[in-house]
Formats: sequence, structure tokens, C-alpha cells
Amino acid sequence: MRAVIAAAIATCVGLAAAPAWAHKPSDAHLRLAVDGDTITGRLDVAVRDLDGALGLDGDGNGEITWAELSAAAPQIAAYVDHRLTLGADGAPCTRRLGPGAIAELSDGAYWAMPVSASCAHPPRALDIAYSLLFDIDSMHRGLAHVAGQTTILRDARPVHIALDQTTSTVAFVKEGVWHIWMGIDHILFLSCLILPAVFQRRTRRWAAADSLRDVCKEVFEIVTAFTLAHSTTLVISAIGLVALPSRFVETAIALSVAAAALNNLLRTVDARWAVAFALGLLHGFGFSSVLIDLGLPSHELIGALLGFNLGVELGQAAIVIALVPVLYWIRRTLAYQALLWAGSAGVAILAMLWSYQRYLA
Amino acid sequence: MRGRRKLTVLALGAVGLAAALTAAAFVAPDRAAAAAPTYLPADPAQVIATVPARDPAEVTARQALAAAPDRVELAVELARGDIERYHALSDPRYLGRAQATLDRWWHLAEPPADVLLLRATIEQAIHQFPEARADLDQLIRLRPDDAQAQLTRAVVATITADYAAARDSCRAIARLATPIATPIVVATCEAPLDAIAGKADEAYARLSRLVGAARAGDAGVRGWALTQLAELAAMRGDTDAAAAHLGAALALDPEDAYARNLLADILMATGHTADASRLLAGREQIDSHLVRRAIAEHDLHGADAGKLVAAMRDRIAAAAERGDRIHLREEARFALAVELDAARAVGLARDNWRVQKELADARLLAETAVAAHDRDAAAPVIAWARTTGVRDAALDRLLSRLDRADRVEAAR
Repeated sequence: MRAVIAAAIATCVGLAAAPAWAHKPSDAHLRLAVDGDTITGRLDVAVRDLDGALGLDGDGNGEITWAELSAAAPQIAAYVDHRLTLGADGAPCTRRLGPGAIAELSDGAYWAMPVSASCAHPPRALDIAYSLLFDIDSMHRGLAHVAGQTTILRDARPVHIALDQTTSTVAFVKEGVWHIWMGIDHILFLSCLILPAVFQRRTRRWAAADSLRDVCKEVFEIVTAFTLAHSTTLVISAIGLVALPSRFVETAIALSVAAAALNNLLRTVDARWAVAFALGLLHGFGFSSVLIDLGLPSHELIGALLGFNLGVELGQAAIVIALVPVLYWIRRTLAYQALLWAGSAGVAILAMLWSYQRYLA
Repeated sequence: MRGRRKLTVLALGAVGLAAALTAAAFVAPDRAAAAAPTYLPADPAQVIATVPARDPAEVTARQALAAAPDRVELAVELARGDIERYHALSDPRYLGRAQATLDRWWHLAEPPADVLLLRATIEQAIHQFPEARADLDQLIRLRPDDAQAQLTRAVVATITADYAAARDSCRAIARLATPIATPIVVATCEAPLDAIAGKADEAYARLSRLVGAARAGDAGVRGWALTQLAELAAMRGDTDAAAAHLGAALALDPEDAYARNLLADILMATGHTADASRLLAGREQIDSHLVRRAIAEHDLHGADAGKLVAAMRDRIAAAAERGDRIHLREEARFALAVELDAARAVGLARDNWRVQKELADARLLAETAVAAHDRDAAAPVIAWARTTGVRDAALDRLLSRLDRADRVEAAR
């Protein structure tokens, strides 16, 4: 039925089930990640909602400018400060708010404030007491995104969110994939080792490989050797058996990339699986420092290690599976020769520059 | 040559697998965790958000209410302003604000009469029809001569298929001596009731006579009457007349979302999909417009189709995230026409039928049941059509298709 009659009928109080549920109702997003005994994250509140609560529109012209908003930043921080508390297993944590900035969401601008808190001990469950905006908008909802689950905050009553251990393993899988993809040195190392696989030594001279099967077999050997090596060092350093200074590890990794590239130019070692294993040991130390930076939780060490390693293998498998058919496809072309020689030379130079930089860092 | 083809297949498969592995690792954990990037504008004059310009009278009233929180007349005035803003801007935020202003009385079993009316209006807008109905019944016991209460009650009772109660309220308005209770209002109130009782022809004749006679009249009432007239015309299968009435209603008020949706539906049903899309272009902030435009562009394979479909998926996800289920009608249409998921669509249409029972809801449930080959799902609509005696060109077609399918099944 209809809305329009509303205007017609006396007081303008609308009748209808206006079928048009337009725009979006008021939501705020609280994203939190728990990392040992600290909590970090961000709170996004719609600028329009903050205007409703605090009157940001200084001149009342209906336009909230950056000048008006930034001037109100301390007032907004004070407002949030009174209305958001975080706790761990019933004990309050010390919460801080960072400087706000603007985030554009699908329904307009939000004021995004970094949130951090330190707790007495690593929380098993998170307590959130949130009371923003409910007093001016009964349909406001806080959406707390914690450890892969979303909790709807409908009113000021505190909620208790149990932190699921399994999701954190999944999170580490993701970190693993991220790391191998973002960590260009691991990709280059592996690529350099795989690059000559489609161009094999036959008795005396080198020639394009005849069968994809042979190529796959060799790539499989290289990848397995690399995986075994870096998994071993990842585990022994993550559990604290061996600790190497990160400057040394990072420099050595860069040198290992240079070595793999130079080997393509000089053809010193033919058994590239051996290179993959020997130098792969270094890369495991690199992975473990990432894992430690992520705040490896001691009570879920196994899950995190497994998850992270699985993520690394997945990310690595994705690269290899994408790369090998392409290389095989172009193995007889000039493009492949250019890639092999110029590419390896380029990587060797780049990696040596890295090792110099990292040594100095 | 064969080896090369094999290799191509292998290569494509491998790239696909790699992409799938990566996508799974990134997407599976939680999509919601991705926070939007932040920035600091360089220009102090940059407009970050627009809100309704400040109304000094409202500010004064808010201050007065803050000083004396018991003054219900101030709260009612302020809440009314927010509900007006909701209607003008189609922004649901203002419903929540109106409710918050009335918070002190909101949970009372017997709030003051003015609060009852506003509470019912808000409940109706968020599809809490039983709650709205209870409040309106209570209000009418207090103020039987309140035309607005009777009209709202007629609307809610029609939506929930309590036609006797709706008829009572329409007749009560006819007996009132207020300026609101004109013959055209009464006829428009009764039109959907007559139509559902199988008397669309008579209702159409009566209402078009009144609309023709009252050339001047209140624009709001006239627009409402024209839309009802269009519904009656569509039920009789006269889509040209329906489109003409809706065109007239939109000329009176271009912001009439209900009329615009109805016209778009008629255009789409008669094969004028591109016209429907044009009619809705630029108004996608309203979900009911967005869903129709997404369906139209999807059918046309238009340039905007991907963007619109993605936007609709986002809105559905956002509503689900905050636990809202008032999008059932839109969601069911979208599931059927775009996601091609008839099973899901019929489930949503069935849930929607539990909430509201207008003709559009009946057509939707019948249409999704046909698509899903699920005659049982349409059983409530078949029963409803039988008890009411409703005659509607589109619904009749759908129900006879269900019947045919049933007979084929039985013959086997």
C-alpha cells in the first residue's frame, strides 16, 4: 500500500508501508583482532550519525565540511570514549583511540578511528560494552566483526564473544598465502629454480624438454625439496629451538635469490632440487619471523604453525601451477630465452642490491 | 596438434586451479573483515556528508524536551518531523530517530493516543504488521473518530488479508464528518478490497468516475487514487490504461516510489524492459528501484548490469548482516530473475507471504512456485484466491500453469 496519502492527510504522518526501504539504516562497524593480550582494530561510524548525536554541521546548512568534521574530532573521540569499553574474560582492558580519518562506504562517509586495548592476559572471550547512538536512533546497530564472526549489538547491554580457536588457524592460512604472494623474494627464488626446468641438459647440450611429464617431475622435486627445507626451519625457529638475527636472515635470503639466478646463468649446479633444499632452509627462518611478528599465540602454536605453513604451500602451489604450463608453452621461443637469460640476470642484480640494503639496514 | 590442444587444456586448467586456490584462501575466512581504506581530505571546504539543513524550531523543541523529558507533546512533534523526513528522503534512519525520541513511551502497554499512532506508523513501515494492528485497534477504542487511525488500520488490515476489518475502517471513514473523509478517499480505501473480492470492474468504474470528477482536489489523495486505479486496470489486463494512470500519478509527484515501481513492473511485463530501466535510472539508492533496474539491465545485458547486480547483492548482504528481514519481496525477485535460484526464491516468497498478503505478494509466490516446480509452495495462494474470489490477469495465468503441471503429473 502507499505512502503518498500521508502528505494529504492532515498531519502528514505517513500511513504507508512505504515499499521503498531506501538507503541503509544506521550501522557502525567495530572490527577487532586479538593478538596475545592486545586488541587492535577500528571503529567506523557514519558521519551523518555523528552529526545527529553531536551536531557537527556548525553552520547548519546541511553540508558537513572537512573543516567542521576535523574541528569536531576531539568531541567525537570523547563521545566514543564514554561509550565503548572492551574487556577480557570479565576484566576490563585499557582502551585507546587513535586519530580518526575518513572511510567511504557504500552509503556514505564514515569516521574511522583506530582502536587498541591492552588486557591483563590473552582473552579467551572478549567483552564489548557499546552504547553509541542508541539514544538518538533506536534502529542503530553496532556490528562487531571479531575473529571471522559478526555480532549484532542491538542495545547498550555488554556482549560476550567467545574467541573461536579454529578461525585463528584459518586466519594463519590466509597470512601464509599473503606472505608468499607479497614476499617477492620467495616467488623470485622459486621462479628462478623452475625457469630452466623446461630446458634440460641432454648429454652435452641443452635443449627444450620433450615431455611435460619430465618437466612436472623435476618441478615437483624442486618444490618438495623447498617445502621440506623451509618447513623444517620454520618449525624449529617458531618453537624457539634456534633464533637467528633477522638482519642476517633477510640478507641471506636475498643472497639465496641471487645465487639461484646466477646458477641459471652459470649452470654451476645442475641438481636444482639440492639448491632448493639448501637455500630453502634460510627461507624458513624468514617465514618464522613473520609468524612471530603476527603475535604467535602460545596456546595455539600448532594450529598457527600448521595453518601458516599450509597457506605458504597453497600460495606457492598456485604460483607454480600457473607458471609451469606457460613456460612449457613458450620453451622453444625467443621469449623464453630472453626470460631465462635477461630475467635471471635482472633478478641476480636486484637480489644483490637487496642483500646490500638489508645488510646495511 | 593433439598434443597442443591437450596442453592448452592443461594450461587453462592449471591457471583456473591456481586462481581458485588463491581465491579460496583469501575469500573463505571472512569477507566482512576487509575494512575500507581511510584518507584525510586536503581541502577544508570539501563536503563530507549532507544532512537535512538545521531547523531552528526543531533545535528549540529538542532543547525543551531535554529540559523536560516528560513533555509528550514535544516528543510527538519531533517524532512526526522525523517520520516526515523519512517519507521525503526515503531514509530509514529517520524512523529509528523517531522511535528514539518516543523511547520513554515506546515500551508502555498504554501510551498516550498520539504516541500510539506514531508507534503504529513506524511499526508498519518496518513491516511489523501485527504490532501496528494492535496499536491501531487500541487507538480506535480511544478515538473512534480519528480518520487517520482508521485509514492506517484499513491499510494494515488489507496488507494482512483481514478484509472485514479493513472494510469496517473504510466505512467508519465514510461516516466521519472531517474534511479528510471525501468520497474519493473512501473509494480509494475500498478499491483494493473490492478488487480482491473479484469486483475489479465495478471498483474501476466507480473510482475512475470520482477521479475524473475531482479534477482539482488534493494532489496526494489524487496520486493515491490514480495508483489504485492503475492496480485495478492491471488486474483487468488493461496495461495501457494502467501505465497512463501511473504516468499521471508520477506527473503529480515524481518522488512517488510506489507508482514508479508499479509502472516499471508493467513495462517489464509488457516487454518494454529498456523503458523500465530508464524510468528507474539514477534512483538506485532506493532498494526497490535498484532491484528492478538490476533485473531489467540483467535481462538486457546492459553495460551497467554487473555494477547494479553487485550493488543489490551488497545491500542484501548488508541487511542480512544487521539481521533485517524486510527485504523479502525484493530478495525473492532478485533470486528468481538474476541469481536464477528458484528454490531460494520460492522460500523467500513463502516467508514474505507470512508477513504480507497483497496481490503483488500472491503473484510473487505463484511465480516462484512455477519456476521451482513446487506446487505445494503455492498452496496458500491457491487457497487465498479461492476464498477471496480474486480475479487478476497475471495471477490467473500463473495459477493455471500450476494446474496444468499438476494434471500432467497426475496423468503420469
